[in-house]
Amino acid sequence: MNDANQSGHAIPWFTDFAEGPLWYVAATVFVFGVLWRIVGLLALGRGEDKSVPKQSGMAGGIKAILLHSVPHGGFFTHTAFHVIAGYMFHIGLFALLFFAAPHVDFLRERVLGFGWTPLPDWAFIVAAQISFAGLILLWVRRVADPVIRRLKDAHDYIGSGLTFLVMLTGCFALQESRPVLAGIHMFTVDIWLIYFPFSRLMHAFTFLFSRYYTGAFYGRRGVTP
Amino acid sequence: MVRNTGIAVLCRAVFVCFVFSLLTVFSIDVNPASAQSPAGRDVSQGESLNGAVPGNTTGGVSDSEFWRQVRSGAAGGLVPLVQSQGDEWSRWRGPLQTYGGWILAVVVGIILIYFAIRGRMRIEGGRTGMVIPRFSLTQRVAHWVIAILFVILGLSGLAIMFGRFVLIPVFGKDGFAAIASLSLQAHNLFGPLFVPAVIALFITFLRGNGFKMHDLKWIMKGGGFFGVHASSEKYNFGEKSWFWWAILTGIALSVTGLIMVLPGLGFERGTMQIANVIHTAAAILFMAVGIGHMYVGTIGIEGALEGMTRGTVDVNWAKEHHDMWYEQHADEATPDVAAAEAQAADGKV
Ligand code: HEM
Repeated sequence: MNDANQSGHAIPWFTDFAEGPLWYVAATVFVFGVLWRIVGLLALGRGEDKSVPKQSGMAGGIKAILLHSVPHGGFFTHTAFHVIAGYMFHIGLFALLFFAAPHVDFLRERVLGFGWTPLPDWAFIVAAQISFAGLILLWVRRVADPVIRRLKDAHDYIGSGLTFLVMLTGCFALQESRPVLAGIHMFTVDIWLIYFPFSRLMHAFTFLFSRYYTGAFYGRRGVTP
Repeated sequence: MVRNTGIAVLCRAVFVCFVFSLLTVFSIDVNPASAQSPAGRDVSQGESLNGAVPGNTTGGVSDSEFWRQVRSGAAGGLVPLVQSQGDEWSRWRGPLQTYGGWILAVVVGIILIYFAIRGRMRIEGGRTGMVIPRFSLTQRVAHWVIAILFVILGLSGLAIMFGRFVLIPVFGKDGFAAIASLSLQAHNLFGPLFVPAVIALFITFLRGNGFKMHDLKWIMKGGGFFGVHASSEKYNFGEKSWFWWAILTGIALSVTGLIMVLPGLGFERGTMQIANVIHTAAAILFMAVGIGHMYVGTIGIEGALEGMTRGTVDVNWAKEHHDMWYEQHADEATPDVAAAEAQAADGKV
């Protein structure tokens, strides 16, 4: 993000604000918010399961995590769309979030103190394209499918809409030539981080717990979920 | 992608100096005469010049011959940099911008005038509450993906093409520089996604979009835009033309776009310039009709949009706009909207 300085353009106050005070607030809310939610979730514990165990719940839990990550059970034609588009979106997003050169720089300079080898530029762009394609496909289907449309509420649209905005403003800033564009991207990142712990975006962390919980529940009863 | 403009400019300057020094060396190499004085005498040996200007001041080769060599590639790989076709390209680009701008402005003007005079085309008989499945989920997904790309690529493309004239007065030079940068990046990133989107549109909408004799009647009746009812099947002549127009200009945009966005493919600069001119022309033709399509699909015609969002249309809308299609599907009309939507989603349309 500090590349903005190198371009020789004055840093607007907005960029300073988004990369400075707002970023610290956002990062704090994100870290504490996520911890709060996860600790809260674990502290809830599980109610006593009075069923006679037929097999280990842990095996069922692990099986569920793995099994639900791939299409299974003869429903592929029904799930193909969201499995494929879902993987496109999430893998693309993961790659560009953690392996795009400007992100690796940011994590090294501002968060972790160390970095790793980033993707080459072209691969970063391809990852972004795949991710955008997946998100747009999922979004359009969400609006057009009569069942999914009725299941979704405002939070689903806010979460995915904010994610789209973060990605779009990132795309806008790709040339790294104008500090104000980096500032706009950073601003949307900050808002996204603040919204994250209080929203369904938490599924990035909680999906493992929920899958394990369901898997363990059924596994204990000898049923593959 | 230019990561750092300062360094990039410096590199370019160094490269240009390097190339020009090469050119100079080259012109000396291919013309032994160039090492001689205007009088043809060799002046390199420290011989007295008798008041003559030292060096080869008038050059040993005529300008036209020199540039012919550069253009024909004789200058060994320097053609892409020193290339006179650039002039031809800008001779095309200027008028394309002017006339393209006018075409788009006229289209918007006609739509505004039409809307001001005739207003929204209402469902005359009113809504019945009975619906018929019209577009499958696959069709709708394909349609909205390309429509989203159309908006992103259209806006960024317009900013790239006309921003200098339209946006600088509003946002100033600095503001425009930022808009130009973001537009270019968005255009380059989303552009390649347009290619599979065009293919998907072609596959999902091909059926029913073939021209037939009765389309002539629709044309004769002015497409129903002037108060006379015009009969049509699932797609009328206007829609069919839009389908083929979008596919043809879409292919042109895709091919020329890929040539420009993937320099690694090894196309020469001349090819890219031709690609650029075709891309611009195709984009204007695509947008000009696309704007009309957007108008009739949204505010222009009541009841059309829901076909593409929910997948179903009202029975009266079907009768008024696609009577021949309605006759074929009349028995599917139902007040159970959810069931009709499910049927449409399943592709039973
Ligand atoms: C962005 C704004 C757009 C809107 C609001 C829009 C709206 C609509 C609507 C409402 C229909 C249904 C018409 C009917 O029931 O007969 C339709 C059909 C269609 N649209 Fe669009 N559309 C848009 C963009 C596009 C683009 C960019 C393309 C192509 C590149 C496209 C291609 C088609 C095709 C092929 C059809 C089917 C009818 C035909 O074959 O012409 N649309 N659109």
